[in-house]
Amino acid sequence: MIKFILLPLLLLASTAFAQVGEPINGLPIQDAGRIKPFGTFAGESLQLIYGKKKYEDKSASEVVFTWMLVPDHWLTLPLIEVRHAGLKEALKITSTEKHFSAQSLFSNERVPLILQELNTIRTRQEKLNPYYQAVQRLENQLGLFQAIRKGEALRFVPDPASDKWKSVPELQGDAQAAFMKMSKGFVDSIAADGGKNPKPSEEFKSAVTEFIAVARAQAPEKYANMTKIGWEEHLNKFHPFKWAWIAYLLGVICLTFNYFSPRKSMNTASWIFLALGFGLHTYGMILRSYLSGRPPVTNMYETVVWVPWGSVLFSFILERVQKNKLLLMCSATVAVFCLILTDLAPTVLDSSIHPLEPVLRSTFWLSTHVLIITISYAAFFLAFALGDLLLFFYLKDEKKYAVQIRNGTMSIYRALQIGIVLLAAGTILGGVWADYSWGRFWGWDPKETWAFIALMGYLALLHGRLAGLVKDFQLACGAIISFALVIMAWYGVNFVLGAGLHSYGFGAGGVEYVTGFVVLHLLYVAYVSTVRYTRQNSQSK
Amino acid sequence: MKKQQAPLFDRVIHFFANLKLAVFIILAIAVISAVGTIYEAVYMEAEVAQKLVYNSVYMYTVLAMLSLTLIAVMIDRWPWKQHHAGFVLAHIGILILLMGAWMTKEYGVDGSMAFNIGEERKYVTVKDRDLMVFASFDGQGMKSIFESPVDFLTHPPSEKNPYIVQLGSDQMKFTEYYHFAYRDAEIMPSDLERDGPAIRIQLENANVNMTEWIRRESKVNMRELDLGPAKIVLANQVLEPTGRNEVVFISRPKDAKLDYIIYNKDKTLRKKGTVAQGDTIDTGWMALKVRVLRYLPRSKEIVTYSKAGYFTPVTTSAAKFSFRGQDYWIGVNSVLRLFIEDTAYVVSYGFRQIELAFPLRLTDFKVGMQEGTERAATYESKVDVPGKGNVLISMNEPLHHGGFTFYQASFEKDETGRPMISILSVNHDPGRWVKYLGSFLIVLGSIVLFYFRRVKWLSNLKNLASQGDAETKHQERP
Repeated sequence: MIKFILLPLLLLASTAFAQVGEPINGLPIQDAGRIKPFGTFAGESLQLIYGKKKYEDKSASEVVFTWMLVPDHWLTLPLIEVRHAGLKEALKITSTEKHFSAQSLFSNERVPLILQELNTIRTRQEKLNPYYQAVQRLENQLGLFQAIRKGEALRFVPDPASDKWKSVPELQGDAQAAFMKMSKGFVDSIAADGGKNPKPSEEFKSAVTEFIAVARAQAPEKYANMTKIGWEEHLNKFHPFKWAWIAYLLGVICLTFNYFSPRKSMNTASWIFLALGFGLHTYGMILRSYLSGRPPVTNMYETVVWVPWGSVLFSFILERVQKNKLLLMCSATVAVFCLILTDLAPTVLDSSIHPLEPVLRSTFWLSTHVLIITISYAAFFLAFALGDLLLFFYLKDEKKYAVQIRNGTMSIYRALQIGIVLLAAGTILGGVWADYSWGRFWGWDPKETWAFIALMGYLALLHGRLAGLVKDFQLACGAIISFALVIMAWYGVNFVLGAGLHSYGFGAGGVEYVTGFVVLHLLYVAYVSTVRYTRQNSQSK
Repeated sequence: MKKQQAPLFDRVIHFFANLKLAVFIILAIAVISAVGTIYEAVYMEAEVAQKLVYNSVYMYTVLAMLSLTLIAVMIDRWPWKQHHAGFVLAHIGILILLMGAWMTKEYGVDGSMAFNIGEERKYVTVKDRDLMVFASFDGQGMKSIFESPVDFLTHPPSEKNPYIVQLGSDQMKFTEYYHFAYRDAEIMPSDLERDGPAIRIQLENANVNMTEWIRRESKVNMRELDLGPAKIVLANQVLEPTGRNEVVFISRPKDAKLDYIIYNKDKTLRKKGTVAQGDTIDTGWMALKVRVLRYLPRSKEIVTYSKAGYFTPVTTSAAKFSFRGQDYWIGVNSVLRLFIEDTAYVVSYGFRQIELAFPLRLTDFKVGMQEGTERAATYESKVDVPGKGNVLISMNEPLHHGGFTFYQASFEKDETGRPMISILSVNHDPGRWVKYLGSFLIVLGSIVLFYFRRVKWLSNLKNLASQGDAETKHQERP
């Protein structure tokens, strides 16, 4: 109904538009078990369907909103991302293209057959291989695109009679009128000036406010907490983690300059940048915790943000004690690396806030043990980065950098100790949690088991040092090699092993990159060891 | 103290107190654990990893060596000094933890209970399996003639190394075991008087197309199958309506035709008549047609098992045995009836049931959904406990009663998707506080240990600073 009125207007205006979606970014919508701002929903939907959070230069909320308003226009545009080569082949679509129009996929007669196959596998409840994971994604993409086009996924108005909010086609009376007014404001804003310089009109902005008031009036007690919505919108817009890594990066640069030509101003600047980065980092995490209502360690994305925070914190503390600037350099590099990663790999590190699985809800022990285990990873990550740096010194000139190596070794040792105490405590608290939640102190769950294996790895390293098997050089190597166990516990269990009680967080992808990262480091250790060994041999001759 | 001991004891202590051995043991534990997680990932089941890796001879040997090493190193460092406090605490903690784990394994119960709403249960199902054989020689009562725990996963039977059940002069010889097997049942015509009827029904309209078998044993009055849009019933007499859209088929012995009667949701009669194999009934509900694809007045079910590579929710375990020259397969948690000459045998193979001292009754079960979705967010069971009344068990809020703890573990839905069966995990753990004590000592010990190490390190550091570029010494003793 609404669509037909607006259609002609929109056909005018589906070309270039800039920030028209701004006012609806903060429109509350019920989706995937929680209430979120429309901006978040649109970003997540566009990410799933198109693979990016923006479409050309258009913001997600604009694009996604127009899917519903001018559905036919979007049918023919290359919008749906298909990446899996095998799936493209099975669909007989161009292998060089990345995006395909919905129409071409809807009319592709292979699609129903392939979806049928997926269903067969699902009824047999077998594990999905990457091909079927890609099919599943396609199913989700097409399903979500259709549901948005028809307005069924757009639940903007609470229903006093049901937990489910009303979707656009279900709207009646006031709510429908207010929605139409808002949509018209949106369309007019786009079409204004012949569509050349689109920006949200005043009418549009007030129509959005009006619609929110009408929607709230339907069931005020069920409506969104607008303060939270506002903060989430702010988080989406401000993106504190991006600014944090930029500040950290500047800090690393200042530290490097300061290392080669020490200057007081440089030193001060590096501290300011690091403190700024740490402040932004902390701010972002507090914001996310407030929005999700839980500690920020419930999925891969959150831990990839949390762990470098811990590394920076430990480096601050250890630097005060040991006066070793290399600690700061290493931790800030770790932070830059991790935070950039969260931006680069949005499908693996999904930043959406999802409601928790039942077993993970509301326990003190859960939060405590996960926080402690992951923060131990932070100490190990710091030791790992220090190990990398020390091997570089070994490679350059062991004698010349003797002081750096000795200080670095002590920092590694201390970081490992912190990590071991925390990992042991966290693993044991994991047992306490499991005992409390389902009466099993230790059930050999793969996630816990790998945390335990990592603990064993580091304990072997420290006992090896006591036994005289591990000297300074081997300790640096060990800090790098043992970190592979942490990566397995942290990432590999979910993405490689994919079994066991912790399967709630399972996703796919990135395995080749992570494996590459680990293998490169092992090769690095092997290379430096060989060089050092030959050097020592030739010297002793 | 150790100087007064016999030289052999001294040597043994020295051997086990060796730090290099300790490093080897720690790495061995790590490697075996890693193998276990790989087993679990490959077979998609925890039990396989548990039995074949974590509880294997290798693991136990390594843990025994670990215990010896821990004891030996503490004897070796005698008399202890102040800076040994952390190391002694942590190592005693590990020994106590291992002891607690052993107590749990030996004397603990780890099982589950599943009930429908309104049902009363007294038995806990545990993972151990029992094999039982009953026989009736005189056609009267069944007598147990064999009963034993079996573990075919750890000790798989084979042709070469069969598991033999001796029944007087006869024997049942188990020669094969599939831990993961697909069960395939085929329904075939039978000419035995005691076998019941079966029908193969197709339900069809523009949106639905389902084909299912329904089979009824002759001793059972009715079998029903809920196909969503309608319920299909196979009975031996006309039944009263139950308040669903339902089609009731009534079979008559020795007749190639079936009577049918169709009821509406409001319990009114919609239609009745007679059909034969191949006929179609138009129900009139949403253009839904019911077709009788097959009708077997006498039918038997032939069950076969094929080997599966790993666990899926539809796999089961099955074992093969031969008895009086014939081969049979039996699936886990199933019962096989054999009629041989005048004797009826019942073979039962399944999870052990442990009787509780008190019954529990599930009075209510609720699932809360994540807002606006069909995904479960919380589940809770209301359970009637003798002497305690109605108690609520929810996720993370277990019930403690009679030495057992009952946790809300999961639930199952009925055909219409309504949550019906609540599954509680039931646990009795005498080692719990021992493990907690051990854990506490480990953590405390590690903290103390590293505190002393730091003090020592700082003094080393001062020495080093005064000595210049001297090589660091690593061979400190804890």
